[in-house]
Amino acid sequence: MKRETRIVIWSIGLAAASAVIAFPFYANGYYLALGISILYFTVLATAWAIFSGPTRYISLATAAFFGIGAYTAAVTAETLPWPLVLLAAAGVGAVVAAITGLSTLRLSGIYFVIFSFGLAEFIRQLVIWYEVNVHKSVGRYLFSDVTQDVLYWQLLGLVVLVLSAAWLLKRSRYGLALRAIGADETAARHSGIDATVVKLLAFVLSAVFMSVTGAAMAPRWTYIDPAIAFNPMISFQVVIMALLGGANSLFGPLLGVIPLVLLFEVLTAALPNHFSIVLGAIFVFIVMALPQGVMGILEDWWRWVGGDRAAPVAVFRRARSHGATLFCGRPKVGIGADTGPLLAVDAVSKSFGGLRAVEKVSFKVGRGQIIGIIGPNGSGKTTLLNVLSGALAPSSGTIRFAGTLINSLPAHRIARLGLARTFQLVRVMPGLTAAENVAAAALFRATSTKAGEAHETIQKLLALVGLGAARETPAGELTYIDQKRLELARALALEPRLVLLDEWLAGLNPSELETGIALIAQLRDSGLTIIMVEHVMDAIRALCGHCIVMNSGGVIAEGSPEQVLADPKVVTAYLGDGDA
Amino acid sequence: MLLFDILLPGLVLGGMYALIALGLTLQYGVARIMNLSYGESLVAAAFGALSLYSGLHLSPLAALLLAVPIAVLLNWLLYRLLLERLARRGKDSGGQEIDSILVTFGVLFVIQGIMLVAFGGQYYSYSYLSIPVVILGSTLAVNRLAALAFAAVIGVAVYLALTRTRIGTAVRAIAVDANAARLVGIDVRALAGLAFAFGGGLVAAGGVLVSMFLTFNASMGVIFTMKALVVVIMGGVGNVMGALVAGLLLGVVETAVARLVDPGLTLAATYALFLAVLLIRPTGLFGRASS
Amino acid sequence: MFSANRRKLLRMASATAMAVALGTAASSAGAQDKIRIGYAISKTGPYAGGASITTLPNYQLWVKDVNAAGGVKLGDKRLPIEVVEYDDRSSSEEAVKAIERLANQDKVDFILPPWGTGLNLAVGPTLNRLGYPHLAVTSVTDKAPELAKRWSNATFWLGTSTQISNALAELLGKLKSEGKIGGSIAMVSVADQFGIELAAAGREAFKKAGFTLAYDKTYPLGSQDIQPLMKDAMAAGADTFIAFSYPPDTLALTEQAQLLKFNPKIFYVGVGTAFPLFKDKFAANSDGVMGIGGWNADSPLLKDYLARHKAATGQEPDRWASSITYASLQVLQQAIEKVGKVDRAAVANEIRSGTFDTIIGKVKLKDGLLQEVWSVGQWQNGEFYGLAPTSLPGARASVVPKPQWQ
Repeated sequence: MKRETRIVIWSIGLAAASAVIAFPFYANGYYLALGISILYFTVLATAWAIFSGPTRYISLATAAFFGIGAYTAAVTAETLPWPLVLLAAAGVGAVVAAITGLSTLRLSGIYFVIFSFGLAEFIRQLVIWYEVNVHKSVGRYLFSDVTQDVLYWQLLGLVVLVLSAAWLLKRSRYGLALRAIGADETAARHSGIDATVVKLLAFVLSAVFMSVTGAAMAPRWTYIDPAIAFNPMISFQVVIMALLGGANSLFGPLLGVIPLVLLFEVLTAALPNHFSIVLGAIFVFIVMALPQGVMGILEDWWRWVGGDRAAPVAVFRRARSHGATLFCGRPKVGIGADTGPLLAVDAVSKSFGGLRAVEKVSFKVGRGQIIGIIGPNGSGKTTLLNVLSGALAPSSGTIRFAGTLINSLPAHRIARLGLARTFQLVRVMPGLTAAENVAAAALFRATSTKAGEAHETIQKLLALVGLGAARETPAGELTYIDQKRLELARALALEPRLVLLDEWLAGLNPSELETGIALIAQLRDSGLTIIMVEHVMDAIRALCGHCIVMNSGGVIAEGSPEQVLADPKVVTAYLGDGDA
Repeated sequence: MLLFDILLPGLVLGGMYALIALGLTLQYGVARIMNLSYGESLVAAAFGALSLYSGLHLSPLAALLLAVPIAVLLNWLLYRLLLERLARRGKDSGGQEIDSILVTFGVLFVIQGIMLVAFGGQYYSYSYLSIPVVILGSTLAVNRLAALAFAAVIGVAVYLALTRTRIGTAVRAIAVDANAARLVGIDVRALAGLAFAFGGGLVAAGGVLVSMFLTFNASMGVIFTMKALVVVIMGGVGNVMGALVAGLLLGVVETAVARLVDPGLTLAATYALFLAVLLIRPTGLFGRASS
Repeated sequence: MFSANRRKLLRMASATAMAVALGTAASSAGAQDKIRIGYAISKTGPYAGGASITTLPNYQLWVKDVNAAGGVKLGDKRLPIEVVEYDDRSSSEEAVKAIERLANQDKVDFILPPWGTGLNLAVGPTLNRLGYPHLAVTSVTDKAPELAKRWSNATFWLGTSTQISNALAELLGKLKSEGKIGGSIAMVSVADQFGIELAAAGREAFKKAGFTLAYDKTYPLGSQDIQPLMKDAMAAGADTFIAFSYPPDTLALTEQAQLLKFNPKIFYVGVGTAFPLFKDKFAANSDGVMGIGGWNADSPLLKDYLARHKAATGQEPDRWASSITYASLQVLQQAIEKVGKVDRAAVANEIRSGTFDTIIGKVKLKDGLLQEVWSVGQWQNGEFYGLAPTSLPGARASVVPKPQWQ
């Protein structure tokens, strides 16, 4: 960018900023009130987008936290100085958000939306009950000398804070983690991301801003009661504003807020009797006009407005060369002895209700081996892999990885211990670029990663799987084969010692198969241990030293590929009786 | 006896809740539309009954014969002209459901706005069949009993229709898995629209019946939507019998809390129960669409 | 602190563009040929019910009456009223913004208040800062005296919750000493500020008057089933039943009482008893029911007002705050006329200090509060007569016991 252009842009920026900051000095009361509306909705919408944008959990709980903030202010304003009041509101908001945020463990999609909507009502009822029975008075009076000017500047400060927080979050690895969770939560968990903690942090951050905004606005209304503080309309207005402007870009919510607030004003002033009808029609129009729906907008914005480009993720910038080894070999702290099998599976079973998917499976995997698991469809192979990787918990039995018991560990912990996997139905994060997909794992593996290292690692891994040129391509646009390769790269980014490949070679044409087999051999040669579930017998024969055959949930044969493939039990399992 | 004194009025209250929720369980369970304007339709039907009663002295029970077909038609139009597009473009059902919440939120405002223009914001109320009758020691109002009776009859009728007829089975198939239903030759589009329209008819019936004893104004829709939502989620989405049982249960719980604990906690208890069910068994107490 | 009359030095581009769209034409400076009166009222949202019965019809009626007589007299001219009206959507934020809009964009001469305690409190500071007289009619709160002191431009017209409960207690005490009722009371109250204030004041006042509370419970706003509450209250066996309730529950409680054949000697329900809706719904059964409010129905001025209200708006006024609302507007008009020009500070002062002739009689406020306010009324022969405070002119004798439900 030319120096002159830069100067011009900076000057305009400064002038605009000064105009905004000095607004109370030259605007009349009405425009100041309008400015206040724009500011507080901006804070709410941006805060909303911090959580709901990347994770796609549409939250309607804005009114709950806003109300909590307003009520906290009403309760504490008499006794605490104003800065402490705001702090108290932040604290209460954080606590309530932490408790309710845990609900995201269990709910997703439409249920989360409904839950968040019911939350405001529930909190309101609780507040009423408390006020009636403990405080013996329902409304709270809040007399203060906070003028419109001061309120405006407080809100302006909040806007700056929330935009800064959102920007910093986007640039950090947690921003990437949030987007990974939104794209494919299972894949994210298996990349070492503790999805629960990350979601909770974002939810709490978002709620804190909403509460403080509520507290700041409370003195404006003098009288706060539960109906006034917890107004469900706010929740919907914020969602529409954020979505209109783009929930995944930094300034998107702001761009959505300004026209809608002004629109509401025009409608209120011009059509007082028909406000409801026109407003409703506009809501309908906005949602119908979004070509791929609300979710589609989220994905589109991911890809090309601010979302990606504005989230450079600091780790990518500072590429310092480091002779980093790519994968495997680094001993993890606190893991058991180096002797003994890498993976010891002992009498593991998994039942779903009455269905026994996996029945008392036991086997051991030594370092540097490639183990093949084969069997007809429905024999429980993928379920077994799911149990090993932590996607499912075993109904009984134990699994030891390098001596550590991993039965009850969540998927991300197992991933960080060095056990990675690919999925039978390929799971890449479609909205993220290839590099970002790999980065998700690279940034969350057990060994701490310096910024530059990650960059190098990602580049090398992509090159290894043949995707070196596709760094910046969104994963959703890659071919099926390339997506599989990407998944492998992501698994390797964890620096695993053991990789589970779930039918990774399925659907490949002969030359791709050759390349694939060669790649797996190369991985084995560099010290990686591999368990592969496969139907492609050529690959099994070429790669595996040892095979396990499963049928109907149990192991029916073990041995070298030649041995098991000649075993009559195995042939019967595959082909049925009469053809042995 | 206190038990009956709680149980019977509780069931009567629950009957009202069940009646209110029946339509939504069809609209959401089958057509996958989380209809936030549901309560508004109920209030609109109530206003309709009120107008017919005060203008033409038409009994609400007779008004049902008028209100329900009109509501079915209007809801069907709403589905065909507006909501169907959401179904068509939704990449995944999750996105469609969220879109439907936001669109119907807009529809909520439109319907509410029309009612405000037509009737203004004040409270309306009329009394019909406000006759006491003593059952097992409890005094109950005939109009509320009528609501309970209708809820039971309609619920059972819908249940039978869904389980014993071909169309009903097709509708249930759509509720379980729309894609699979398409693959076996079920016209999902047409039947989902039918289910939505029918659900609208049910809520109109509910509105007419409760107008006999409740006070209402144009802004009260949201309260009914929330109550219906609670019952639908608790009973299992798309599960008609579940909605019936959940509604009755909710009524009994509310009455019990009011008598035994503290009348001030009834609404808190309702929401607590709702949130608990959502967290522990999101598919509802009776599971999904197993009718 | 800064006054509302800042000179405009700069404008943001978007604000300018929108200003053209948003701003209604400001009144021309110089010769004034009409009086601009603005208000934001709850046409939608939870407050719309109350506002459309008590406040909006009276605003419309008053403007009609004033303009029919030629307008407000300023000096030697009569200037008609021009109205600017907005919907505050029952939201505190909208109400505050609307005041700013009326003052800064529409530049109205006077602003009429919104409905309800919550909204009046929300706009209070702004009206105070801008200097508009604030007739906070539909605002009933125990804090009224304190607010009147804080905001010298504000006046309160329905008394405080304590006054209402005290007047009720006084009436009941009298009836007890006459042997007409026993010494125990069953009381329920809605869990909202008004209900709670009334109940709290009631507890004290009833105790002082020698009553015991046999039943005392609150219920949440928006409860749809009142029967359990009613049954327990009945079981307490008191002669007097008091419900500090809001319109939907007022109606529901009365209906339940009829169903359960609950006939205490005194049946008192809260807000809404004084609404024409009550009489319409319960017809002959409304006779004998007591409630908040009341008026001197025999007064010729009020009879005339009733007829005019019905003719102009198509509905009857309520028997509590409607007539007071209209009277407050008459006070406003007379204050403006006495001052002779649009001097808001002077008008606010005049309202506080002057004496006025209105449909409810002579009005002179004391420290910004109207003193003669009916607290207890009773439906008798189809009209809601004021019973207490018994010292007010036109106070009727109560009909006790209430006739049995039919």
